[in-house]
Amino acid sequence: MNPLSSETFGENAKAALADVQLRGALKYATSLFGERRKEAAEGLSNWEGLRTQARAIKDEALLHLDRYLEEFVSNAEACGAQVHWARDAAEANSIICRLSKDARTIVKSKSMTTEETHLNHALEAAGVQVVETDLGEYIIQLAEETPSHIIAPAIHKTRRQVADLFTAELGTPATDDIAQLTRIARTTLRDRFAAADVGISGVNFGVAETGTIVIVENEGNIRLTTSVPKMHIAVMGIEKVVPRFADLDVFLKLLPRSATGQRSSTYQSFITGVKRQPTAEGPEELHIVLLDNGRSRLLAHPVTRQSLACLRCGACLNACPVYQQIGGHAYGSVYPGPIGAVITPQLMGIEKTAQLPYASSLCGACREVCPVKIDIPRLLLHLRSEIAPRKGSTTERLAFKMWGRVMTSPMLYKLSSIAGRIVQRVIPISKAWTKGRDLRPIESKSFHELWND
Amino acid sequence: MTNEARQAILSSIRSHLATSVPYDKRELSLHHANPENNPAILSKQASASLVETFKANLITVGAHCVIAQTDADIASALTRIISALQKTPIRAQRIAISDAPQIEHLLHQTDLEIEELAIAPNASDIFSFDVGITSTQAAIAETGTLVLDSTRERHRLVSLVPPVHIAIVDASKIYETLGEALAFIHKTEMSPAVTFVTGPSRTADIELTLTIGVHGPQELYVIINGST
Repeated sequence: MNPLSSETFGENAKAALADVQLRGALKYATSLFGERRKEAAEGLSNWEGLRTQARAIKDEALLHLDRYLEEFVSNAEACGAQVHWARDAAEANSIICRLSKDARTIVKSKSMTTEETHLNHALEAAGVQVVETDLGEYIIQLAEETPSHIIAPAIHKTRRQVADLFTAELGTPATDDIAQLTRIARTTLRDRFAAADVGISGVNFGVAETGTIVIVENEGNIRLTTSVPKMHIAVMGIEKVVPRFADLDVFLKLLPRSATGQRSSTYQSFITGVKRQPTAEGPEELHIVLLDNGRSRLLAHPVTRQSLACLRCGACLNACPVYQQIGGHAYGSVYPGPIGAVITPQLMGIEKTAQLPYASSLCGACREVCPVKIDIPRLLLHLRSEIAPRKGSTTERLAFKMWGRVMTSPMLYKLSSIAGRIVQRVIPISKAWTKGRDLRPIESKSFHELWND
Repeated sequence: MTNEARQAILSSIRSHLATSVPYDKRELSLHHANPENNPAILSKQASASLVETFKANLITVGAHCVIAQTDADIASALTRIISALQKTPIRAQRIAISDAPQIEHLLHQTDLEIEELAIAPNASDIFSFDVGITSTQAAIAETGTLVLDSTRERHRLVSLVPPVHIAIVDASKIYETLGEALAFIHKTEMSPAVTFVTGPSRTADIELTLTIGVHGPQELYVIINGST
């Protein structure tokens, strides 16, 4: 199945709105995630304080990103990790392909960063087998689809569809019992874990002070990916650095609560370099691939820079009235929802993604739930202001310019309401404008006139 | 090539941050004042003891919990847990234990009949075991979390691969908060791998239906050793 394109967002959204099953699944998932998040946030006495603190830490890290990155790298290297710098997706993929060229089996845990670089395509093109091991990612890999939610990639699929997929791809007996389906995935993937010689993971946090990478999960596939194979390759966006080890306290409280409403994720792995004794458990090699891919550009302004504070929790997706209706695929981008609508145009360029910043009613729900207080509506407006001069129609721009003039002059305003009352009787209001919104007729007397009466 | 990339990325970071300087002053004064004024302190658990809080939170996350006072108590808890599992499809006939001497010693005090016992099997052998038994280096009461430090005990695979994990926690090593446990694992020379475990492995990836036991253990038993 070919992934949709952001350029056809309007059509994608229409198709998604007509998909009854998808909308049912989305309604259930987003409201459940939303309720759990709210409950978990209320369970802490100082949620707002935590958010403020988290954002302050992220701001500090980003304002000194060069220094903290160098500190992170030198500490990780001192503990035996090998660090690779990648300017863009192609460079990251070629580093990883080179490292794993002799691998027979690669197991991979969920990583939005490797979705961004389309790593699996690159590995397959290089002739290396790669198996996604997160249950949701495994399902969509079998279906040859892309994730539709940051946290629950296969949120759009029913148990029946998963069952049919397993029967077709794995030859397992038909069942639509979810526990049974999960067991099938466990059994199938166990053989791959046992045989794997390379494990590829993402990174949630990189600690500058210690060179530690932190990865959180619920399934245990990340622990397997980072413990069983001889080589572990961790792909990390440069913005994932936090200054101090103690900073993790704040983030490990906010992230699971925002993502799934849990007080703690089931597993949190703190990995610092490689084993010091050859007989100890764990990989012999740890490679950390640091990816820029457009991120450093976003440092150039405080409004765009805040997008780099994102923890990838997915809370803004669940809160967004647009995402709730159309789901992740319609955005046609790796990162969906409100955060995707701001990250994608900034990382990939606005030429092909110009519709995404308009995929929002600017209601602000995303900003309310964001654990690091990213002002997504402001970012959306910032991006729209970059797009509008290129894309907006000349008539619309002229109309708003005139409207601005009229509204700032009391005399013109008075005249315009009188003129409007007359004109609305003879000329119908522009169809294009009223297709998607109501336009109330102008009252026969203005507030001013009523007041004077 | 990597060195060239490193220089390119670092100089891109520096030049873009420099571009931002004139905007930053206004922006930062708009936003959060001083993070120090907003300490993220949780309300303290007043009454319940750490052990009780820990136990309650373990149960919340789907783990089983037994409190034992003596080695004999722990041995009999192990006997009960494993012999019950032996009547289930898990079988519990092949048992892997970590290299903590205490565990082997405790198992010898039980009268369990098992087919195989192995100490910290490596990655190529561990996949055939039914039960893994480990000690733990610390625990967190407020979340029901086990803290496993791989430099202190060989339990990275034993605690992960078998479908059942039995963990023994010394009551004296239970911290109240996540922050305290983070301070405990934060050392000048960090361990290459520390794992926090909170409950059995879980997923909700199909129709958001909670399913226990996907890639990690489907059952987690915690025996709290209260004698310490």
